Amino acid sequence: MEKRLIKKDALSGIINKLSEQMLVYAPVKDEDNVLFKVLEKGMEPLADYSNTRNAPKNFFFPKTETMMRYMRTERGIELSGEGEGAPEMVLFGVRPCDARSFILLDKVFDQEKYKDPYYIDKREKTTIISLACVHPPYSTCFCTSVGGHPMSSEGADVVLTDLGDKYLAEFVTPKGEKLLEKMGDLSKADDAAEATKEELSKKSEEAITSHVAGREIKPWLDENFEHPFWDTIHQSCLACGTCTYLCPTCHCFDISDEVKGSDGKRIRTWDSCMYWLFTKETSGHNPRTSQKQRWRQRLMHKFKYFVDNFDAIACVGCGRCVMYCPVNIDIRKIVNDISKL
Amino acid sequence: MQKNPYIPMPVDLVKIVTEVTTKDIKTFRFSFVNKEDAENFKYLPGQFGELSIFGKGESPIGIASSPTQEGYIEFTVQKAGVVTSALHDLEEGARMGVRGPLGNSWPIDYLEGKNVVIVGGGFAFTTLRSMINYMIHEGNRSRFGNITVVYGAREPGLLIYKDELAAWEKRDDIDMYVTVDKGDEAWTGREGFVPTVCKEVGPSSENAVTIICGPPIMIRFTLPVFFELGFSKENIYTSLEMRMKCGIGKCGRCNVGEKYVCKDGPVFSLAELDKLTPEY
Ligand SMILES: Cc1cc2nc3c(=O)[nH]c(=O)nc-3n(C[C@H](O)[C@H](O)[C@H](O)COP(=O)(O)OP(=O)(O)OC[C@H]3O[C@@H](n4cnc5c(N)ncnc54)[C@H](O)[C@@H]3O)c2cc1C
Ligand code: SF4
Ligand code: SF4
Ligand code: FES
Repeated sequence: MEKRLIKKDALSGIINKLSEQMLVYAPVKDEDNVLFKVLEKGMEPLADYSNTRNAPKNFFFPKTETMMRYMRTERGIELSGEGEGAPEMVLFGVRPCDARSFILLDKVFDQEKYKDPYYIDKREKTTIISLACVHPPYSTCFCTSVGGHPMSSEGADVVLTDLGDKYLAEFVTPKGEKLLEKMGDLSKADDAAEATKEELSKKSEEAITSHVAGREIKPWLDENFEHPFWDTIHQSCLACGTCTYLCPTCHCFDISDEVKGSDGKRIRTWDSCMYWLFTKETSGHNPRTSQKQRWRQRLMHKFKYFVDNFDAIACVGCGRCVMYCPVNIDIRKIVNDISKL
Repeated sequence: MQKNPYIPMPVDLVKIVTEVTTKDIKTFRFSFVNKEDAENFKYLPGQFGELSIFGKGESPIGIASSPTQEGYIEFTVQKAGVVTSALHDLEEGARMGVRGPLGNSWPIDYLEGKNVVIVGGGFAFTTLRSMINYMIHEGNRSRFGNITVVYGAREPGLLIYKDELAAWEKRDDIDMYVTVDKGDEAWTGREGFVPTVCKEVGPSSENAVTIICGPPIMIRFTLPVFFELGFSKENIYTSLEMRMKCGIGKCGRCNVGEKYVCKDGPVFSLAELDKLTPEY
């Protein structure tokens, strides 16, 4: 693995230079929000922000995406295109929890038998530079309880760690090393930098004060699909879907057709298991008619089904659903309450 | 890149058969427009396809033909909502799309060498018909033991595949028990509910497997009959239906517990279902 040092005041220039050669998305200030935007001349990429409200999953799995186009011909309606190929790009400034979410999404979209070409194309053509959380940004962060770490490199191609006056840049994958070639001359990292990083890593881990019993509740979930506890969590839920849309690991989608004149397209859009229509069949039958069942599905999917299938929890502990649920439903509390049953 | 599993293969609608007097169930026969699609579409009874009509959408439908019937594939579809209604409005010669084959199949390898009992109700007989045609095909018949079929519908006009039922009745290598809840003046066959007929027929559970498809109520009353006959949950198979979109385990819509019906099913044994969450 290549390791380099980048002076603090040089980073912005380096990223801006990359953006002259290829598409670079970076966190930038937008009124009171921080959003990933295409970096253009004169824009300043943020390197010390907390996290974006929206998870960066949309770069590989957009909210709305054209899967194919078709048009009316003499013979009927025929395929006219398969959706656009993705450009090479860099995603700069992803937080480690979100970078890790890509590894989890890969397990769904990039399986041996069925590969999702739309996701994989974008994922393959994107190089991810993550920013280690030397100071975990929120009190709601709980990555360490679900298999992550504030300074984890999982899912990243390049990891930047803020060492005070400079960044340690680790080029963890071949894709990352390829990017190094485009970043100009950077001085090699010394052992001292490595030692500082180790120290910061311990401190950052200690700074995560929110803990949940992530894996511990699995045996209970295995046995208790029916349990009075499930009647206690959903009452105030509005079924708004915010939690699932903001979640970096939620991947449910709908497929629908849109026609205009003689042209049409088939698109996919994010969907949510929190909606009652999600499972409703044409006959009227619906296996999940109540919000209780839907909340159980959401929790079970993240902490049991995904673990059964992929040996990983489908939550990276980013805390978004906790922060933005309009009625303050807190998945951490639910998991911890279960652990006490 | 691997072939895009979301892109339907173009097919021509070559034949439409209206199956029932109410006219809302039709069998559609398709032939592939591209030769390589026809060659790649290798399926087994029990699998399904996504029927795709551009501008309307897609519907998952069990494959009603058998792979032993070469040169075409068939689906029997009830007119229900947007896509299935659009399909019912099509005429022979129309071009549309199919994705598949999707899902697992009836447990063919497991059934080999065993007696097979097939129980169907209403128009959920489609992939069972595929299975029957597969088993009685001359190249396959010796691989299976006795074949017993109990098939019922509410009234004679609602029985599907009438010509085939009649042809199967004439064969001596398959025991047919076709029944209707209530006959009409013209009906000379059996009357009685499927569970009752199963009880009368009383197939032995010795070295036998039952595969059953039908309305939930029929299944509910028929299962106890088979338990009583000594069939274990490992030896009763059924096919599940859940709302679907992608058909390939991505869109997250069709899970029952940790299984996706589209990819891990739709066929499950009762023993397998017992291990899953009872939410379907
Ligand atoms: C494995 C499997 C095999 C099936 N086999 C048959 C068959 O052989 N014959 C038949 O007539 N029907 C079958 N169905 C049911 C059939 O898929 C639905 O009736 C059909 O999708 C309704 O679509 P629509 O567009 O007409 O209805 P709309 O209500 O307008 O469309 C809703 C959309 O939701 C989805 N959807 C709605 N209901 C269901 C459902 N019950 N199952 C799956 N997806 C659904 C589809 O994507 C559909 O396009 C099967 C379903 C499954 C899951
Ligand atoms: S479930 Fe909540 S905390 Fe976990 S990854 Fe999703 S949004 Fe973040
Ligand atoms: S954000 Fe809160 S209210 Fe909205 S669906 Fe999720 S749990 Fe329910
Ligand atoms: S239909 Fe999409 S996961 Fe099964």
